[in-house]
Amino acid sequence: MSIGKKEIGNISHPISYSYNDNNATTERYKLIIRNLFAWFGIKQVLKNINLDIKSHIATAIIGPSGCGKTTLIRCINRMHEMIPDARAKGSVNLDGVDIYDKAVDPVTIKRRIGMVFQKPNPFPTMSIYDNVAAGLKLNGIRDKKLIDDIVRESLESAALWEEVKSELNKPGIGLSGGQQQRLCIARALAMQPEILLMDEPTSALDPIASSKIEELIHSLKKDLTIITVTHNMQQAARVSDYTAFMYLGELVEYGPTKQIFENPRNELTERYISGKFG
Amino acid sequence: MYVSFLTRLLDVGIEHIQNIIMDMAKLSERSVFASIESYERGTSIIKKQIFEWSENLRLMQEEVSDLSIELIARYQPVATDLRFIRSCMEIAYGFSRFGRYSYDIVDVLETMGSISNCDKSYVLEMSNTVREMILLSINALQSRDKNAAQKLYQMDNTVDALYRRYVHEIINPQEQQSISKEFLDKTLRCYISALLILRYLERISDHACYIGDSVYYIATGTSSPRR
Repeated sequence: MSIGKKEIGNISHPISYSYNDNNATTERYKLIIRNLFAWFGIKQVLKNINLDIKSHIATAIIGPSGCGKTTLIRCINRMHEMIPDARAKGSVNLDGVDIYDKAVDPVTIKRRIGMVFQKPNPFPTMSIYDNVAAGLKLNGIRDKKLIDDIVRESLESAALWEEVKSELNKPGIGLSGGQQQRLCIARALAMQPEILLMDEPTSALDPIASSKIEELIHSLKKDLTIITVTHNMQQAARVSDYTAFMYLGELVEYGPTKQIFENPRNELTERYISGKFG
Repeated sequence: MYVSFLTRLLDVGIEHIQNIIMDMAKLSERSVFASIESYERGTSIIKKQIFEWSENLRLMQEEVSDLSIELIARYQPVATDLRFIRSCMEIAYGFSRFGRYSYDIVDVLETMGSISNCDKSYVLEMSNTVREMILLSINALQSRDKNAAQKLYQMDNTVDALYRRYVHEIINPQEQQSISKEFLDKTLRCYISALLILRYLERISDHACYIGDSVYYIATGTSSPRR
């Protein structure tokens, strides 16, 4: 399934600027992270992260608890700085533009980079339809037909349309856990993001629901770049094309998932993915 | 952060596979050496024993396969563990082939009858090299010596050359022999028995090389460089 590209009024995506870093070309990489550091107060949680994320693939970020995985993806969509006393330093280049540049509006970044969280969080007082349409309405879209079309396409892309098409007015929280998570994905997709961040999207779900989310990731990456944080090694091996292993705030190893799981270069990576520590 | 080095459930299974493989190594070595000794003495009385060993090796190979699949299904091993398990299936097959070829060698002796007056020099020469290769492949497995593959291939080249030399010799006899029925009967028996045994030894040599390849793969995660 693909998301139809609709004209959505006042929302416009920044023009891609030419990238002037010598180490990567924008044509191949959607996101280029250079020398990224992050802190919560005085506690440093990310240490000099350098990472190149390719377009239209799924990248998994793995590592033990507390290694900085969630902080990293929250730095990617500028959610990290919303926490009191939290700060980040470095560059995160999206299509050649540093999202931490003073000229860049963080709200625009959050539109272009959607996020799905560990615990499904549909808006509790809204219907299924309104959950998906919320972002559109907040951005000034009033055309009912346009909203209807985008809601349907988003729910189709999230593999939820067939299950809810006859009850769009029912509350979002009335769905099962797996359906709620797909509703949250549809809500993110409605904004036509270029990147979708997923923070342990299936850890609260049963195996069948998890499996549907994994299939969804596989189908969505035709249209999006997906970055997923997961504690589940087997899931990372199943869904991702590239895998990044983090430990104590540092990026230890990054490469094609096949290579990471069959023949990791770093002994620490080998020990972690083999379950010898964690 | 506290890092603990855990004993994994997978390790129990891996150790079990390892033990079976090493048992197969010893049994297949004994089997091949016994069959070569039988040839040297010109007797096949040990055939029944070698058949039993060959059957045991076949059963052990099946056990390794079953256990490997179970470990993969249960524990989804990765990296070195996965490479090791995959390679053990290939290595177990190699050792079971050693057993089978040992039986085939002794079977030749029984089928061909007396070969006491035959020239055994080719077989003995090749069997010395093959014995070394078997020991080298087993040592490589125990010590995860990735360099053994290269040595094994060099020795295999020697075995192949010897085989080709023998084939060439028997299809291009150097002397004019008087063709009596008795002479022809004896010559054919000697040539055929030697040719068959050399062929089985040459195959054992190949499988020793494959074991070296598997050890290289376990150690490095890449295929052994082509010879």
